Amino acid sequence: MPHITYVAHDGASQTLDITAGENVMHGALYNGVEGIVGECGGALACATCHCYIDAAWVDKVGGPASDAERDMLGSAGAEVKPESRLACQIVVSDALDGLVVHMPDRQF
Amino acid sequence: MASRPVPDHVPPELIHNIGLIESPEFLAAPHDFMAALHDRCPPIFWSTGTQSAGWNLIKHEDAFFMLRSAEYFTNKGGTPFPRDPANPFRLLPVEADPPEHRQFRNVLDPMLSPQGILRLEHTIRKLANDLIDEVEAKGECQFDEAFGRPLPVSIFLDLMGLPQDMRDTFVEWAVDLLHATDPAVAGRAYWAICGYLEGAIEDKRKRPDDGAMSRIINGQIDGEPMSAQDVFGFTVFLFIAGLDTVFATLNNMWLWLAQNPAKRREIIARPDDIMAINEELLRRFAVTFSGRTLLKDIEMRGVRMKAGDKVMSILPACNFDPEVFPNPLSVDFDRKRKPILSFAGGVHSCMGAHLARLEIRIGLQEWLRRIPDFELKPGFTAEFRPGGVVGPEHLPLVW
Ligand code: HEM
Ligand code: FES
Repeated sequence: MPHITYVAHDGASQTLDITAGENVMHGALYNGVEGIVGECGGALACATCHCYIDAAWVDKVGGPASDAERDMLGSAGAEVKPESRLACQIVVSDALDGLVVHMPDRQF
Repeated sequence: MASRPVPDHVPPELIHNIGLIESPEFLAAPHDFMAALHDRCPPIFWSTGTQSAGWNLIKHEDAFFMLRSAEYFTNKGGTPFPRDPANPFRLLPVEADPPEHRQFRNVLDPMLSPQGILRLEHTIRKLANDLIDEVEAKGECQFDEAFGRPLPVSIFLDLMGLPQDMRDTFVEWAVDLLHATDPAVAGRAYWAICGYLEGAIEDKRKRPDDGAMSRIINGQIDGEPMSAQDVFGFTVFLFIAGLDTVFATLNNMWLWLAQNPAKRREIIARPDDIMAINEELLRRFAVTFSGRTLLKDIEMRGVRMKAGDKVMSILPACNFDPEVFPNPLSVDFDRKRKPILSFAGGVHSCMGAHLARLEIRIGLQEWLRRIPDFELKPGFTAEFRPGGVVGPEHLPLVW
């Protein structure tokens, strides 16, 4: 199973095995990682699953997957940066084994 | 029913008896009425109406604040619903607070996630087409009876792992429970539903399957099996939560579609944009409200509210907040995507939101594919009934 590392705003990090095909938001929620809220459950309707992709992974993960994701990022609570993504839109795969995501100071 | 007295800490200038849910002005055109609140009322006001007495919030931002601040706003005792004193079950997960609340959600969230519900897509499409088969050649129907009612009921039965031949009985129970004017009729329906569901739970205990009811029965809270009372309260709430909401949403949308042929054609011409179209229609036709009780004193926008006060977010009005959705009543499929409040927000965000979106999307796709042109039966004017879920009761269509 691919490993995903979630780095909290205070620097504490957790590395978890997430089933390929799941998304990075669910990976956090189902494992009790705080810092990602995901209140719409991945409907691209809340912007509470905001995360920053680690610099080493930005090229591989890429930018927003759709215009809707780009729009919705505009409603994120914390600062939106070039490496911002909505975690529910990132599908875990073997290609993303080792991915590191950083969580913002707040989700709303 | 007499209005509750207004507490002393409410300044007189903030008291507005707007007549939400019940006044003739509201019932004539509820969505226009709720949009106009932004011109008529301050952003936070005290309503004296019998059904909405307490603080009302209409700003997008304020509703999200209420929904996301469980430390101030509780759901406990928030659902006015009849209960047998001998079996005082909680409606779950809506009447649970964090952190316990999350554990209840974990029992079904994976099944109701965007990936989880995909396995229902084929069935829903078939159910929708079966219903259209029955009316297509007739050139007319009562949309509410032919589609709005039976579709969500069939899907509920399928989700729970209950037999489809119960559909018409469940439709009858749902109508009696949620729409009867005679409380005795509603009471009988309530007992009939409870009795049936209790039997069905027993049956699933003996013969488990992969449906939602079995998952609830096998659900664990703090590592322990869920109590029989909680299993019951969870099952009953799923039935209540997913029927009238979808019914009212479909009726509102089809009432509008019948009167807006150009928009109908636009939807048909843009199949790839169906997600955005669905979301905009859900924003425009939100059907319900979120009520909470304050646990502690709080000040919002300079308004001082006290522990024990009731607070209600008028979710449809929040979707019409002109600061967030300019020109809010117009239906614009190219709007910038922003969070809508139709399914609330915060920890109690609608658990069935993905399923509801899928039901409505398939309904739009299949109906417009097969009956692209239709209108209201001549002479018909929509009537809305007072209640917590806003939609026209009847909808006769012709084509
Ligand atoms: C268009 C249709 C629907 C609308 C507009 C809607 C709306 C809502 C709203 C506004 C809430 C939050 C209530 C509050 O904050 O007090 C809610 C909660 C809920 N809804 Fe829906 N709903 C719909 C369909 C469904 C369906 C189909 C199901 C069943 C699968 C469902 C199950 C639930 C449950 C279980 C909750 C409680 C969640 C919790 O407390 O954590 N809903 N819904
Ligand atoms: S979980 Fe709501 S947008 Fe990602």
